[in-house]
Amino acid sequence: MKKESPSVEEYLEALYRKKEGGEKATTKEIARELNISQPSVTQMFKKLARAGFLDYESYRGASLTKKGEQRGKSVLKKHRLIEKFLLLLGVSKNHVHEEACRLEHAVSDEVEKRMRRALFSGKAALAGKIKKITDLKAGAKGKIVFIDGGKNASQRLADLGMTPGTIVKMESKSSFGGPVRLCVRSCCIAVGRGLAEKIFVEAA
Amino acid sequence: MKKSLRLALAGNANVGKSVLFNSLTGGSQTIGNWPGKTVEKAEGVLKFRGRKIDVIDLPGIYSLSAYSVEESITRDYIAKEKPDAVVNVVDACALERNLFLTLQLIELGAPIIIAVNQADLAERKGLELDLKKLSKKLGVPVVRTIATNGTGVKELVERAVETAERKRAAKKIMYGKEVEKRISELEKALAGFKLPYGTRFSAIKLLEGDEGIARLVNNEKVLARAAKLSREIEKLHGEPAPIVVSSERYAVASRIASECQTTTKPKKTSVGEAIDSIALNKYFGYPLLALVMLAIFFTIFALGGQVSAYLAWLVGLAKPIFASCFGEGILFQLIWGGAIEGFTAGLTVALPYLLPFFVILGLLEDTGYLARIAFLMDGVMHRMGLHGKAFIPLILGYGCAVPACIGCRVLEKFRDRFVTAVLSTLVPCAARTVIILGLVGAYLGVEWALALYAFNLLVIFVLGRLARVVLPGETTGLIMEMPSYKVPSLAAIFRKTWLRLKEFVYVAFPLIITGSIVIKAFEVLGFLAPISSLLSPITVGWLGLPAVVGITLVLGVLRKELALLMLAVLLGTQNFGSVLTPIQMIVFTLVTMFYIPCIATISALVKEFGWKKAACVTLFEVVFALLLGGLAYRLLPLFGV
Repeated sequence: MKKESPSVEEYLEALYRKKEGGEKATTKEIARELNISQPSVTQMFKKLARAGFLDYESYRGASLTKKGEQRGKSVLKKHRLIEKFLLLLGVSKNHVHEEACRLEHAVSDEVEKRMRRALFSGKAALAGKIKKITDLKAGAKGKIVFIDGGKNASQRLADLGMTPGTIVKMESKSSFGGPVRLCVRSCCIAVGRGLAEKIFVEAA
Repeated sequence: MKKSLRLALAGNANVGKSVLFNSLTGGSQTIGNWPGKTVEKAEGVLKFRGRKIDVIDLPGIYSLSAYSVEESITRDYIAKEKPDAVVNVVDACALERNLFLTLQLIELGAPIIIAVNQADLAERKGLELDLKKLSKKLGVPVVRTIATNGTGVKELVERAVETAERKRAAKKIMYGKEVEKRISELEKALAGFKLPYGTRFSAIKLLEGDEGIARLVNNEKVLARAAKLSREIEKLHGEPAPIVVSSERYAVASRIASECQTTTKPKKTSVGEAIDSIALNKYFGYPLLALVMLAIFFTIFALGGQVSAYLAWLVGLAKPIFASCFGEGILFQLIWGGAIEGFTAGLTVALPYLLPFFVILGLLEDTGYLARIAFLMDGVMHRMGLHGKAFIPLILGYGCAVPACIGCRVLEKFRDRFVTAVLSTLVPCAARTVIILGLVGAYLGVEWALALYAFNLLVIFVLGRLARVVLPGETTGLIMEMPSYKVPSLAAIFRKTWLRLKEFVYVAFPLIITGSIVIKAFEVLGFLAPISSLLSPITVGWLGLPAVVGITLVLGVLRKELALLMLAVLLGTQNFGSVLTPIQMIVFTLVTMFYIPCIATISALVKEFGWKKAACVTLFEVVFALLLGGLAYRLLPLFGV
């Protein structure tokens, strides 16, 4: 994929974040978000529209095209991946967002792929400290570091007590790639395998 | 008479809320649906010291976000209907997790009283709870209850009435500094708005990105402010704002719980855990499940079959008596053949199977084994695009589609229920098995019969996956609490069974009887032959079957076995081999395997999903069956059949 200039990517990420949060993407909004003047935003909107990333009408606001959405989403994914990677390195939670903002536009897709693999493979030395909860043996405990799921899934897990920093016990797994049983806050929860593989813990 | 009051029961699932509801309302319960939704609504009345108290059992929930229908129903009911008091039923064995909801209920501003239930189980586990302390920390009255034997229930009602009249405010629960700062800011921004949920609750939810409340507020400026504050929280804590809020809420819950409970006995393995070590065991769990399913199947269908046959015999006895009253004319045929036989069909097809089914279902639910079944089978079901719990209706479908359709209630999401119900009507029920074995099995051999069963499974599999695309459901995968094993209350089960049976009878019987009368009328008035010729372009032209098949297919709507019996009658012989070619046998069996479920099933579908959907399903299955039949007719010769 051709690397766009950082400012285009930043716009697309901001626009995608807004869309994900269900908010409107007006010139005023984006200007506030990216800390620039409204006229600059208007200019950039026009440019993005020309490039096919945006549907923009003056006074009507902007909405991402499919192309723009895809790009914005991938930048956001990259941002979140870098945040998790930084957490792994032991960077404090309070700083990961800013650092990731700076790094995301400098990390190439190739490096991103390798980071993702390292993070999720469970085999890399780096990932030895943090593993998927499904990699724990039955009866072992782990402390949740993060959950790599969508908004809905993360919230539902959080509602049932699986928040970052919580101790979870891997009670048992089932056959056929079926769900696993996790014990958290004195309760037993069955979680589907696919979702459970998104819960990352460190040994507790 | 003092003023009547309204009480709402709210709490997690599996905390004994329904048991409490039962002991409060007893036989006065009515079960319906929340308007416009598919969630069960249970209401009842309690008379206490000269007052009438309406009790409503809100759905079991874990939080008050807007993510699920049950949560929306609960918070909307409490905020808009403003019950006089909310009884928050809490599981004494899982205080921390339960308090997560309690804190939100308090934030919602309802007058609350907490019932710490299942206190006996907690004591057995060695958990000592200081309820006075809990009450003080939360600022709400707390009552110790054991709903299964009625302990504390009277006191609960007394204190609830007190709470309703006193309307004391609970303590305000404080989050961490940074979050509180932003909550206050947002509260100020929301000052002028008229929100049913209260300012603080709305502010907190907006920070959590609650879409329901965002829609209500509908003010760009405020929403932008909320988004900005959320992002600030995210930057400070390194997690999305909703997760931060949940974490802090749990921190409060955890703190309160640990300050109010102590573990005295050393933790021993409970009986439940011992059972689970087998029931959920990778190696033993599945054989055990197979045994349980076999036992269930046998109980429902063998027992049911016996009762069914007995009832049919009883009705048969009455036939000559009836005939002697009404003569043998058209009236007799219509009333007997139509109405009475329809009634009999309902009586003998549905009820003998539904009664044991509902009892068994109640047992599975209340003991907690249902969750284990879902756990064991979710892996396989997921590949079919279904939920683990869908296993039961699907297996039941091999006996009869009626309990299978109704059994889909165990699934929580409407979409899952609907898809599973449709698939369970495609599974060959006992009646269809009669056709498969009696026609294909007998004349073409066992291999062909087995092949048809396998083909059926393939179709179910493919349709299940297709449904995942066409009707996307929740893509997050299974998240289900595994309740601890409990000894079920037989009284509660029988009460549930009675209520559920009543519902079915009220809807299904009129349908079945009407349908039977109509079809019988066709027969008596001599419409069958014309219908047969009307259908011949399909039956003969498309399916390559003899024209009389048209009638059998129509009659098969009443009862599937009738299709085969009628075929023998109309073809003039029971030796199908002499009048039907192998291809015709296979095509006929295929069509009967997949087309319209019988009338009892259709009425179950109507009952569970409404007329429109039931009609769609029926239409779909007819078209699908005909399509398959016609294709088979043309493709089978290519395979040298």
